[in-house]
Amino acid sequence: MAAASYYEDGIARFLTACAIVWALLGMAAGVYIAAELVWPTIDFGQPALSYGRLRNLHTNGVIFGFGVSALMGTAFYSVQRTCHVPLFAPKLAWFCAVGWQIGMLAGGISLLAGWNAGKEYAELEWPFDIAIALLWVCFGVVFFGTIAKRRIRPIYVSNWFYGGLIIVIAMLHIVNSLALPVTLSKSYSLFAGAQDAIVQWWYGHNAVGFLLTGGFLGMLYYFLPKHADRPIWSYRLSIVAFWAFTYSYIWAGPHHLHYNAIPEWVQSLGMVMSLVLLAPSWATMINGVMTVAGAWEKLKTDPALKFIVLALAFYGLATFEGPMMSIRSVNVVSHFTDWTVGHVHSGALGWNALITFGTFYFLVPRLVGGSLHSVRLANVHFWLALAGTMLYVLAMWGAGVSQGLLWLAMDDLGELSFSFRDIMASMAPYYALRLVAGVVFLSGAVLMAWNLYLTAKGRPTVKVSPP
Amino acid sequence: MNAVELHRKLENNAGLLIFGILFVSAIGGLVQVLPSVFQDALVAPSENVEPYSALQLAGRDIYIRESCGNCHSQQVRPLLAEVQRYGPYSRAGESAYDRPFLWGSKRTGPDLHRVGGKFSDAWQRLHLIDPRTVVPDSIMPGYPWLAETPVDAPDVQRKMRVLRRLGHPYTDEQIAAAAATLAEQMEVDAVVAYLQALRAKP
Amino acid sequence: MPFDFWAGWVAVLTLSSVLGLGWFVFSIYFGSGQEAEDSGTVWDGNLREGAHPAPMWWFWLILATLVFSVIYLMLYPGLGSFAGAMRWTQAGDVQGSVAAWESRFSAKRAEIAAAPLDALQADAKLMAAAERIYARNCAACHGTEATGQANLFPNLKDDEWQWGGHPADIETTIRAGRNAVMVGWGGILGDAGVRDVADYVRQLPHGATSDHPGMAQYNQFCVACHGIDGSGQTLLGAPSLADDVHLYGGDAAAVEHSISAGRAGVMPPFGNRLDDMQIRLLVAWLTRS
Repeated sequence: MAAASYYEDGIARFLTACAIVWALLGMAAGVYIAAELVWPTIDFGQPALSYGRLRNLHTNGVIFGFGVSALMGTAFYSVQRTCHVPLFAPKLAWFCAVGWQIGMLAGGISLLAGWNAGKEYAELEWPFDIAIALLWVCFGVVFFGTIAKRRIRPIYVSNWFYGGLIIVIAMLHIVNSLALPVTLSKSYSLFAGAQDAIVQWWYGHNAVGFLLTGGFLGMLYYFLPKHADRPIWSYRLSIVAFWAFTYSYIWAGPHHLHYNAIPEWVQSLGMVMSLVLLAPSWATMINGVMTVAGAWEKLKTDPALKFIVLALAFYGLATFEGPMMSIRSVNVVSHFTDWTVGHVHSGALGWNALITFGTFYFLVPRLVGGSLHSVRLANVHFWLALAGTMLYVLAMWGAGVSQGLLWLAMDDLGELSFSFRDIMASMAPYYALRLVAGVVFLSGAVLMAWNLYLTAKGRPTVKVSPP
Repeated sequence: MNAVELHRKLENNAGLLIFGILFVSAIGGLVQVLPSVFQDALVAPSENVEPYSALQLAGRDIYIRESCGNCHSQQVRPLLAEVQRYGPYSRAGESAYDRPFLWGSKRTGPDLHRVGGKFSDAWQRLHLIDPRTVVPDSIMPGYPWLAETPVDAPDVQRKMRVLRRLGHPYTDEQIAAAAATLAEQMEVDAVVAYLQALRAKP
Repeated sequence: MPFDFWAGWVAVLTLSSVLGLGWFVFSIYFGSGQEAEDSGTVWDGNLREGAHPAPMWWFWLILATLVFSVIYLMLYPGLGSFAGAMRWTQAGDVQGSVAAWESRFSAKRAEIAAAPLDALQADAKLMAAAERIYARNCAACHGTEATGQANLFPNLKDDEWQWGGHPADIETTIRAGRNAVMVGWGGILGDAGVRDVADYVRQLPHGATSDHPGMAQYNQFCVACHGIDGSGQTLLGAPSLADDVHLYGGDAAAVEHSISAGRAGVMPPFGNRLDDMQIRLLVAWLTRS
């Protein structure tokens, strides 16, 4: 059993590579659909290139391809080290990792073929829903199995968050996907209308909550102190941050349904819990910032840490903006506009992508026992990522706030001041700027892929034993 | 017992931690989602709201397939400006036969919940196939393949049978008749029929 | 299950769980017996947890959000069936704003709806408003310049009105919509017949000769609606064929297609979408010289 005395890091390496491929693919799809909103005919009459289908590939590719691959890889990497044991059931872990890639690839193709369950961020049809549920259970078995056989008593904070990711996403995914199949490619939701809306946004908002926020907080709580070489600032703050987060996030979904045809009490509860959520969100941000506080000098030389700190800043921004947008009267303006798109991307680009990039710049050299191929290239990437995110968010703020206000504007006869079409047409400069932003951000990601490829090329994965 | 001690118990025991996370994260759903599932008022169709006809149902599923909902909402909010722009605001009972619901989250294009009857079939057909023939500055994709693909009648009949199991009151006669009504209909006809059905029921 | 049960369920679970959260936070900050909390655990090389106390401002932050939430839930509907002190509902909200809108604008709008057309046409500001109403409701079919589109939607800027150009006719068209019914004649006329009649129709504006091969069939099948001289009949929506305005296209292929397959142009009714003032302004705008 000599092999068992080493950490299973091959899986982390495999999943990191997959995550980078998904990042490029998912972001390229995003850039393409951004271009379609500028030049609507570049789908060339091809169904698979059509905006509707390609947008589903974009969102699923970045969330479930890039996001989950990165989370699964870093979870497997960190859970072994924080438990001082190799992965539980490594073959199952490999099955889970490879199965996820096959499932997402096939799922992506099915989206382009027009298979669509019709629910946002849950577009994949029932065969994929079942596969996801099974693979997710495998993920949980490996993760909690590793924790169960740990050789260190307290479970580290990053594992609380990764654990929350696994448990809550399983619950949400299974309930929201309940459907009666018609054919292989078509099913009907067990929930209808207003009820379906409430279930869907309970799912939809918390896919953001426990995957894009909670899961990545797990990444943060492991890689930030590790990299900054400092203890997490306040253990107490970690505790309240985690439990208050887990409690309040799950209520926030109905803020997606303000002034919609659901009961007012559901909307109100969604709104107040979104505001409460500000506190645990910022607790983690402060915990992170204070952790780095003693290591500022490292920021000058270390691109990985720069990415992580910038990600924290965007995390703080997005988690402030979210509660504000959940306020009923603000939501009147922001709902259905590009402001929401901007908000999502300040989280997805500024927080999720940046912290993952930072983590990968840290992780890949360690996995292969070398140093980063080019620090300079990584620094260039940093500025491209920052510029891309800022441009994107600014463009969508401009677009969203003007849409929201112009749709509501009335003249002194009590007539609407603007036709929908004129407002839509006036979005052209914002959409063009957003396309530029996307290209800038994507080109940075390409640099990273190249840089990390050269870092890892020809080097075997380092074998590390538990202490 | 104080909170730190309570937390220590959980962080020292994987089983308790799993249970704790499950318990704490379930509360919100138990409060918001569970009562909604049992509230008949949320899912009862309003008066005059009928299940979609075979052709409309086919159109709705094409609308879903092409993800029209990525850019079009179907939810007129009870706000003065929205009621003026689109028409009567949306009610829960109107979506009783919507599986899944298609209220949407983004209006790159306009809301469609009251679009039925606003345009002639001919306009809708032209606009679906190539929006820029009628709206030169439109950024909507064209859907030329809808005009070239016939509606799959047996598939629609299968769907009606599944929906009946979910409580949509389709009769055997309606399902049988679907074969004839759908014969020689193209997908674009189905989508137009669906869009024309999106209107306030008095 | 009666709603009362669920109302209680919502209120009790919400309040007790919020209280639970409050206790948890309070206890983290002020609970006793936590001296020996730094376990000194080292997880992974340099990975440890710090012993800093949680900052007080954060306590005030979450307390503020919780207090705000409780106040909000006292004022607005949230705790099950408790309506909140403000008695706010979204239906009441929109009814209120519609009522305010009516009290502010309805007198002015009624005045415009009853005003003579030339007075409206002389008011540049009202004409600009009319143009915006047109843009919102009509431009998608008739084009932003109202000059028609796609050989399907008529030009509204010329003097040719399929259903009559009198303001009252235009108002009826807007309010109730129009449905043109020209059946297809391909089966009866045959290919050659369609070609002949189409050619005859195309000659009509230029004074077709009486020996034209399409004339007999035109006089048999088409005159009832379009008239012997092709002048049309607005009551039926049969357009004049005696001019050079061709809604569906005037070239041979287009006219042949119209004759052979028929035409059923539809103008949807807007009486339920537009109010009297909006319709009046549109009529004024469309008939201004």
